[in-house]
Parts: sequence; structure tokens; C-alpha cells
Amino acid sequence: MNTLVSARDLRKNYGSLAAVDGISFEIREGECFGFLGPNGAGKTTTVKMIHCVSPVTSGALTVNGLPAHINNRALKKMTGIIPQEITLDVDLTVYENLIIFSKFFDIPRREAKKRIAELLKFVELEAKRNSKISELSTGMKRRLLVARALLNQPKLIVADEPTTGLDPQARHLIWQRLRQLKTEGVTLILTTQYMEEAQQLCDRIVVMHQGKILKEGVPSKLVAEQIGREVVEVRVPKEEDERIIGQLAEFSCGHERVGDTLYFYCRDGHGMMKKLVELDLHNYLTRPATLEDVFLKLTGRSLIE
Amino acid sequence: MNLSYRIYYIFLRNLYSYKRFIVPTFLVSLVEPLFYLVTFGIGMGAYIGYFGGKPYLYFLVPGVLVSSVMMTSSFECLYGTFVKMIHEKLYDSLIATPVSAEDAVAGDIAWGAFRGLISGTLMMIVAMVMGVLPASVLSVVLLLVLMVLIGLMFASLAMIVTSFSPSFDFFNYYTELFITPMLFFSGVFFPLDKFPPWMKTLSEFMPLTHAVKISRAVYSGVYNSGLLWSLLVIVALEVTAFTIGLKTMKKRLIK
Repeated sequence: MNTLVSARDLRKNYGSLAAVDGISFEIREGECFGFLGPNGAGKTTTVKMIHCVSPVTSGALTVNGLPAHINNRALKKMTGIIPQEITLDVDLTVYENLIIFSKFFDIPRREAKKRIAELLKFVELEAKRNSKISELSTGMKRRLLVARALLNQPKLIVADEPTTGLDPQARHLIWQRLRQLKTEGVTLILTTQYMEEAQQLCDRIVVMHQGKILKEGVPSKLVAEQIGREVVEVRVPKEEDERIIGQLAEFSCGHERVGDTLYFYCRDGHGMMKKLVELDLHNYLTRPATLEDVFLKLTGRSLIE
Repeated sequence: MNLSYRIYYIFLRNLYSYKRFIVPTFLVSLVEPLFYLVTFGIGMGAYIGYFGGKPYLYFLVPGVLVSSVMMTSSFECLYGTFVKMIHEKLYDSLIATPVSAEDAVAGDIAWGAFRGLISGTLMMIVAMVMGVLPASVLSVVLLLVLMVLIGLMFASLAMIVTSFSPSFDFFNYYTELFITPMLFFSGVFFPLDKFPPWMKTLSEFMPLTHAVKISRAVYSGVYNSGLLWSLLVIVALEVTAFTIGLKTMKKRLIK
């Protein structure tokens, strides 16, 4: 597969703050690549540089073989953006939003009308064609943002936290549409804080923290490597840590204490369960390991502000 | 500077959105001149009587005309642009398309000037209905051109202010300390002859003074060589403000 986006020692400084602190990655054509990280990790800044609205401080960044630059209209023309914030034109109707946006891409009117009809169907907003933006629910607004991002038939789609604030139905609809686009050969770049979203959509992910990439890989493999198969959460007072850790040592391949909970990462949950019953502990929970555990293990379980 | 024909698309976008405000803005643009012309022109004019051989309204109309262009263009690029930039985040989505930040800002400046032109034209029509006629058809054409020039100048100046503005409140400094004083120091309502020298000098530094001078000359069809200087001031300020406005807005939009 060809490389579509390539970054080498990419940096972005805001004054003395290094928002992106020397990262390198490659995104292949046709894959879904996810940037994961807590608030302020540098995900949005990174994708903004990729889609040419934020200048690169230093390092090399190319998209489709061209250097990413704020004046690179050719790159902007082949990219579709689903922004984090709802940036719809509230003075215009649903249809007007799309027809004006198609102008910005120099799409001929007749072609634009055809695409708009198709896209409104694709995001299930046909009935809202002439509605004002204020009459739409958040889910509808997000779907309209998806339609808007597809007007120019982009080769690359950048979705910056595309399902923030949505109910499960609306979220699943957006996921389905994004997966459908991928089968059509579109390259997808996703930033998210929802681990389920990353697991549902991404072929490969990087976990970012404080402007750096901590880990890169395939979601399921990262979980297996970093955590194991299962996680056991035990709620016991801190004083008992030493005793319990000792008793469970043979089943666990790692443990962590956060707040009131002791986390054990293990390959054999069954054995550990038996032991817990034997120890007569009641307040515990066994569940499969998820990307969220990887995320929390890498970026720390305490609050990041 | 990265300008292209896409300026027109931004203008078009504003035209689309304007459909919803067209009735109230037309009404305001009609009522405001009537207010000035009726109160000052007829009320005060009755006391003042003739002014250089013609009724006071002939003195008042050209000045009020350009003031209305100034007001409309300025407010469009202060409040209008600020809402689009901060509240509606419209610029964020614009600059992610092939439309550059410069295109977007220039499109808004052109729009501000267009709004000024509409206000000025409506006022001219009201004045003409009241019998205050420009000297010739050529005067009407020149006045329209002048309104575009003045509109672009004040829209660009406002854009600079908007690019530095942290909030709406900031605009008060500009309107109260710059725009409003100009109404009284630029010879809109009365000639500046009786001002002490320092006030006359001060008024020479006000762009509206030059706009009023040209407007009055064009309206009456009586020209003098001093107008060239006034025209030069306006064009120079316009080009400078436009260039700076685009730069400072770009700095604010692209981080």
C-alpha cells in the first residue's frame, strides 16, 4: 500500500509550549488511522497540520507527496474535514450550507445538486433539506458535517472527534457511514477519546500524550501486548495491597493501584477468579481487556487538565 | 498575500444569508436617512435658511450620505465579521477549503462595502424624492463610485479593529472614539470654517472629512483642485487598511 501521509520529526510550538513535540508516523492509503490521547495531547494540532490549516513549526509533513502548507489549495481540495466543533453556517438552510460549500470547491452547480441529493440521502437528512440549522438536533448537525465533508469527493477524510456529544444511535450511524467510506477506498484519519470508537473504526492507532507518540500499533495487538486478555478490578483498602498482590502474583502479569481500586492485568482470568473466591473477596469485577486500559496505562489514570 | 477569485464565493455566501435580513436592513436604511433629513434638514434648516445660495438640505445630504456608508460598512465588518469568526466559527470551516484566509477576509470587506453602497443609495433615493437632486447623471454615477471607495476604506479599517478585538465591548472604543467624533468634526452638519485652526487641522486627519468634501462637490457639480488631495488620502488609506486588515486577520485566523 502507498503512503498517503508522512511525518518526520513533526513539531508545532505555540510560543514556548510544544503542542506537538517531534513525532513521526506514516498513514497508508485506504486505511483508518487513529490519533488517541487525552485533552491537550496534540491530536487536533497534528491533524490541523495535515489538512493544511495550521503551519508546521519544524519537521517534514507531506500529504499525497505534497508538502502540507496553509496555502496548498490542491491538498485542501482533496481533503474532507469533519470538525470537532459544529461549524455549520447558521444563517443558511441545510441545502444552502451544502450548495455554498460546493462553490468553495469550484464544483459546477449541476454536479453539486446531484451530489447534495445523494449525500442528504447518505446521512438520512433528506427530510431536513430546507430546515434551518437551529432546527436540527446535535446528531443531525454532525451528520450534516459528514455530508459537507464529502461534497468534494475527498481522497482523505479527517474526522476530529466526530461523535462528541452524540447518543448511541447517532454515534453508530456515523460509524457505519465512516466504515462505508473506507470500503470505497477513502483514507480516514480519526482523532478520538472514545476507545470504542477507535476499536470500531481504526486499522492502526497511535496513542499521544503531551505532544509525543507513546505507542503505535493495531488496536487488538496493543491490548494483548500491553494488558493481556483480562482485567480484574478489586476494590480493597490500600493497606491490604501487599497481601493481595502477593496472593495473586502467580496469575497476574501486572497491577496498578488507582484510587479505591487495585487493577490486575492477566492472561488467565479464570485462575485468578478461583483464587479470589478462595480468598473470599467480594468487591471485584472481571472483564475483557480493552483499548481503554491501554490508554489509561500509557497516559496515566489520574485526571489530566 | 494569497488572494483569488474565491473572494466572490464569500460575497455570495453573505448574499445568501442576507436574504433573511433584507427587510429589516432595508427598513433601517430608509428610516435612518429620513430621521436625519427631516429633523436636521427641515427642522434646523428652517432656522438656517439658505446656505451658499441653496437650502440647507443641499448642504446636509452629501455629508449624511457618506456618513451612512461609513456607519454601515464599519458595523458590518465589526459586529458582522466578529459573530461569524467567534460565535459561528464560520472562518474555521472556510479556511479548510480552497478558500484562503485572505479570500475570506477580502470577501467580507467587499461585502461590508456593498452594504454601505446599499445604505448610501437608499439615502440618495430618499433625498431625490425630497427634491434634493444631484447636479447631473454623471454626479449620480460618481457618487456611487465614491460610496464604494468609502465603503471599502471603512470596512478595511473595521477589519483591523476586529482582528484585535477580544470581545464585542472592544468595539465601543472604536465607535465612540473614532466613528462618532468624525460625524461632528468632518463637516457633515455644518461647515468647518468657524473652527479654531487646531480643530481644522484635526479634521484634516479624519478620513470622513475628505469623503464629505468630495461628496459635496460631486453632488453640486462644483469641483476644485483640493479634491484630488482628498481622493488621494482616501485611496491611500484604503489600500493601506486593506493590506493591514488582511494580515492581522490572517494572524488571528491561522494559528
